[in-house]
Amino acid sequence: MSQQRGRGTPRCVPVAALALVALATGRPAGAAIELGLPGGLPPLQIHGFISQGFLLTSANEYLADSSKGSFEFSEVGLNVTLPATDRLTLGLQVFSRKLGPIGDYRAALDWYYLDYRWRDWLGIRAGRVKLPFGLYNDSSDVDSARTAVLLPQSIYPAQNRDFLLAQTGVELYGYAGLGRAGGLDSSSYARTIFLDVRPQPGSPFTVRDLNVPYVAGGRVLWLPFEGLRVGGSLQFLRLETDLLVPPGSGSVAVKIPATLWVASAEYLWRDFLFAAEYSRWLVKTESSNPSMFPESSVTSERAYLSGSYRASAWLQAGAYYSRLVPNVDRRIWPDGLQHDFALTLRFDVNQYWLIKAEGHYLRGTAGLSTSLNGNRSLSALEPHWALFALKTTASF
Amino acid sequence: MRNRAFIVIALAAAAAAAEPQRPVYVVIANPGTAVSRLDRKFVSEAFLRRVTRWPDDTPIRPVDLGPDARARIRFSEEVLSRTVASVRSYWQQRIFSGQGLPPPELGDDEAVVSYVLSHPGAIGYVAAGTALNGAKVLELN
Repeated sequence: MSQQRGRGTPRCVPVAALALVALATGRPAGAAIELGLPGGLPPLQIHGFISQGFLLTSANEYLADSSKGSFEFSEVGLNVTLPATDRLTLGLQVFSRKLGPIGDYRAALDWYYLDYRWRDWLGIRAGRVKLPFGLYNDSSDVDSARTAVLLPQSIYPAQNRDFLLAQTGVELYGYAGLGRAGGLDSSSYARTIFLDVRPQPGSPFTVRDLNVPYVAGGRVLWLPFEGLRVGGSLQFLRLETDLLVPPGSGSVAVKIPATLWVASAEYLWRDFLFAAEYSRWLVKTESSNPSMFPESSVTSERAYLSGSYRASAWLQAGAYYSRLVPNVDRRIWPDGLQHDFALTLRFDVNQYWLIKAEGHYLRGTAGLSTSLNGNRSLSALEPHWALFALKTTASF
Repeated sequence: MRNRAFIVIALAAAAAAAEPQRPVYVVIANPGTAVSRLDRKFVSEAFLRRVTRWPDDTPIRPVDLGPDARARIRFSEEVLSRTVASVRSYWQQRIFSGQGLPPPELGDDEAVVSYVLSHPGAIGYVAAGTALNGAKVLELN
């Protein structure tokens, strides 16, 4: 939140230095750094965050090489927003992360957009924008905005962030007041996702090309009164890839159309926050050579129930149960399902720095990665295991 | 004797309860604002930036007090139906997902009055008893 100061007074101060000063001097939470611009333009607003986490599992490797403890759990983001006029806003965020094998601390444009809000009920964003899917997909990187370290991984899988977080195209959005019936928050989007082709350790195939011809969908949330959000999200996307099959066996063209939906409810009452979501993802695989790469049609089931309580200005506690069934036609123990029971404590050291500790007890191995676990079959992994996560985040 | 003391205490408590509570804050707007009475829901939506325009299409410019101000705490709970911390989480989600910026946050009541007077379409709240210098007081339904 910005601090009042003289208007139209350009200041040229390195952003990183300003960020450090802000964190070191304990500016109020959410306090933006403002950079004055010449020509009567409003000041640029700059926000940022830095997170470092630690993952430790009692057995199995999860998200990173976690069984011996891993610090490969880092995120840095810096965004700049220019409210150019009362209808037009420009913004971009640079983001870098490392989560086990995903990310390599390279900074990338996470989102950027031109946002024209014609009316409250209709605005348009063009650029690379976050995908509104479920209650928290578009804010899943924002550690400081929630109690948990890890969002329920059944619906918000951290390893799928590149596929699910943002799309490049256009989004129509708006808020329509419904009088005594509250209001309706809606958004719809269409275009594509640009993906990097990365080697998959342990995979018998080499990904030669990976395209997303389209991703389209929308979310509608009904707000009958302040504090309650109820709604649903729907997403259609299609992945197309060419896989090379060694040694010299040629290639296989694979097309993967997918339909994802989620039903959501969230209730905020005083210092309590409750949320529940239920989702199904239908993923088909079409292959040019089914003998080499088999075709399939799989529906997964994902759900969670969560609650959190703010006990004081510096202490929050939260808990959730999350359930993942990767294939509803194969609910087989232990690799056909995963139950995740999580407990979190969040300590706000001050208004810009927080520390979280989280314990998970997991039953089942369906959410684990074979490649992270030495290409062992999921059914061969330890079915009862625990995860401890620690994370600290500074934001301004 | 004990009964009489009890009656006196009870009467004093009843009198205190009957006395109207002084408001902690007043909601103010730029004097050019056409309305003088607003629904709490409209004010809430304006401060959460779901609604951005007055009925005459003037942009709404909400302004907040600092997070520790008593008027901010009461305004958040009574009008926004959220604690100040919940409002902060709401804005953190929007800031870092590129969906909006929070209202400016000013250090004291006088700064809010000054901002409201100098910005057409501005709406804010200040501690009751603050010199308003011509800022328009809005009644909330």
